[in-house]
Amino acid sequence: MKITFPHMGNVYLAVKALFDGLGIEYVIPPKNSKKTLEIGSLHSPEEICLPYKIMIGNYVQAAEMGADTVLLTGSCGPCRFGEYCEMQMNLLNKLGHDFKFIVIDAPGDIGVSELFNRIAEISTKSRMSKHKKLQCVKYALDVINLTDKLDAKAHWLAGYERKREECKKLLHASKRDAARCSNPKEMIKLLKDYEKKFDNVELDLDKDPVKIAIIGEIYTVIEPFSNLYIEDKLMSYGVSTRRELTPSWWVKNMVMSPTRLNSLDLKRHSKEYLRLEIGGHARECIGEAVMAYEDGLDGAIQIFPMGCMPEIVSKAILPRISKDKNFPIMTLVVDEMTGEAGYVTRIEAFLDLLERRKEHVLSGS
Amino acid sequence: MKIGIPKGLLYYKYHPFFMTFFTELGAETIVSEDTNKSILDLGVKHCVDEACMPVKVFHGHVASLRDKCDAILIPRIMQIRKREYICPKFCGLPEMVVYNIPDLPAVISEPIYATDDKRLYEWAKEAGRLVTRDRNTIRRAFEKAVSVQNEYDIGINTLSYEMKVALAGHPYNIYDSYSNMNIVRKLNALGIGIITEEFVDEEEVDSEVGKLFKRPFWTFARNTYGFLATAYEKKLCDGVIYISSFACGIDSVLIELVKERIGDFPFMVLKIDEHTGEAGVNTRIEAFVDMLERRKTYEDNVPSYGQCVPCSQGSF
Repeated sequence: MKITFPHMGNVYLAVKALFDGLGIEYVIPPKNSKKTLEIGSLHSPEEICLPYKIMIGNYVQAAEMGADTVLLTGSCGPCRFGEYCEMQMNLLNKLGHDFKFIVIDAPGDIGVSELFNRIAEISTKSRMSKHKKLQCVKYALDVINLTDKLDAKAHWLAGYERKREECKKLLHASKRDAARCSNPKEMIKLLKDYEKKFDNVELDLDKDPVKIAIIGEIYTVIEPFSNLYIEDKLMSYGVSTRRELTPSWWVKNMVMSPTRLNSLDLKRHSKEYLRLEIGGHARECIGEAVMAYEDGLDGAIQIFPMGCMPEIVSKAILPRISKDKNFPIMTLVVDEMTGEAGYVTRIEAFLDLLERRKEHVLSGS
Repeated sequence: MKIGIPKGLLYYKYHPFFMTFFTELGAETIVSEDTNKSILDLGVKHCVDEACMPVKVFHGHVASLRDKCDAILIPRIMQIRKREYICPKFCGLPEMVVYNIPDLPAVISEPIYATDDKRLYEWAKEAGRLVTRDRNTIRRAFEKAVSVQNEYDIGINTLSYEMKVALAGHPYNIYDSYSNMNIVRKLNALGIGIITEEFVDEEEVDSEVGKLFKRPFWTFARNTYGFLATAYEKKLCDGVIYISSFACGIDSVLIELVKERIGDFPFMVLKIDEHTGEAGVNTRIEAFVDMLERRKTYEDNVPSYGQCVPCSQGSF
């Protein structure tokens, strides 16, 4: 059994650490590229959302490298993501790939015992003791937390660095090196070293950079390929960015959700505009926008794939927040047809606007 | 007190309930006109661009009512069956409307969980308070409304034609004859009867849906999938016409599942949005009907060049 899994930002590093630790064979699909998307959009139904298409590309490319099992999380919310597993199974079957799917679904829907059965399908492949296996899970969680921390640091400090693009280079180097590690402990140590290196980045604290919150649909904000590397672009412009939705947030949110104590700050901030959970991450998106305003950021950029149902609702609400609070919010919709030039022009225009608002006190009044 | 009821989305399925409830409470109800060009234009003007056409049409209905009543009903239908949803846009519908249409009167937007009478009554208590403070009146109005709704039969099953297509899609696409350009009458004029999802038993739907790897968590998806799979299995129809709104998230999944299930059975998806041209729709319907007729009359399943070409490979 060779396990593969779809890409989503830094998740591959954590999964790598997990399977390295457990000693299970796995295949990391090649990094998302035009080729991946091309394969994906060739085979996928036309109207399905962008993440699905990229994921199909991942599977097909992983199959070429010998993968035969797919590990995927599920959901039963009103968002389409929950139906991915069934459709992807059918599609891959039709394409002649004999994949086995292991879908980690919410226990409320498939039952706790079924969930454990599904997890056992993977864990029994490892010969380690239970204790050691749990330790590997812990390592994986450490990795995901560390990579998210590095991301957040680099994105925020990019606005203050003295040497242009230093943070960006450091961040890329950290990922490149982490991918080369062959055991989880080594990876954690390396990531911690990089964390220290970020403390040594020369900063100009008198700077007042433009600060932006990246909000929107979770896959498109986390997976840099799907949003045309917007965070890298903003780092190069010397803009500080912040993003609440990260893989580590997702894990924490999911674990905490049965207690209803998950993401209390986001819930509190979204209350004024959207008081109910409507599926996907629409409510989080609204909460983040309000939070970004209250934390004194200059603007927010919402990103979502074309046709995303929950985010369409939040897109309908955001203009009101923008108006009420005099807080600029721009929405970018991405799909396989998004052209980079037009996309960059819009980002640059938005940054110009934010910069001018900062300089002229009269702005926006 | 005048309550405005927009004739959009699930109005077509649940209007007896809402109408009876408010009338029994002693409120006056006003229903917006049938969907027409000016309502659609109003909707497109006020609604967020990315939304699907039925949501835009609903915005238009609300906007057309805004100066005519004291309160507007915007049903926030969260669930109709247990552990199933409608669509994220339904859950956030009041927000979408309220933040985008200026100068609205009061809005009745309490969440509706129609999984059982008890939870539905929660909605009635909140909504009824706007009209009367008398609990008993609300209770009575609610019970009457539920019984009227239960007796209400919607659905089309024409028996007088030789051929029949299964007309599938969300209820508001099937019953809003402006949005679907009167497809029912068009098909009848071509000599084609229609059957809709209401004429399939619940048990059959359940057994079909049970065969899926993942239980569908949308009520629309469950109904339509179960209906089409049963109609195909039991030969209730000669073909399927699926009316789907452009960029509908549920349909993008559902159509794939249905195609997977019914294989080479004649299946046509009619995409509708606010730009749909009627001539194109007519042509497609006529072509589909021609094909069905030919299948029936001459079908030997062997094309002239001697090889069977299933419709999944795009021969139609």
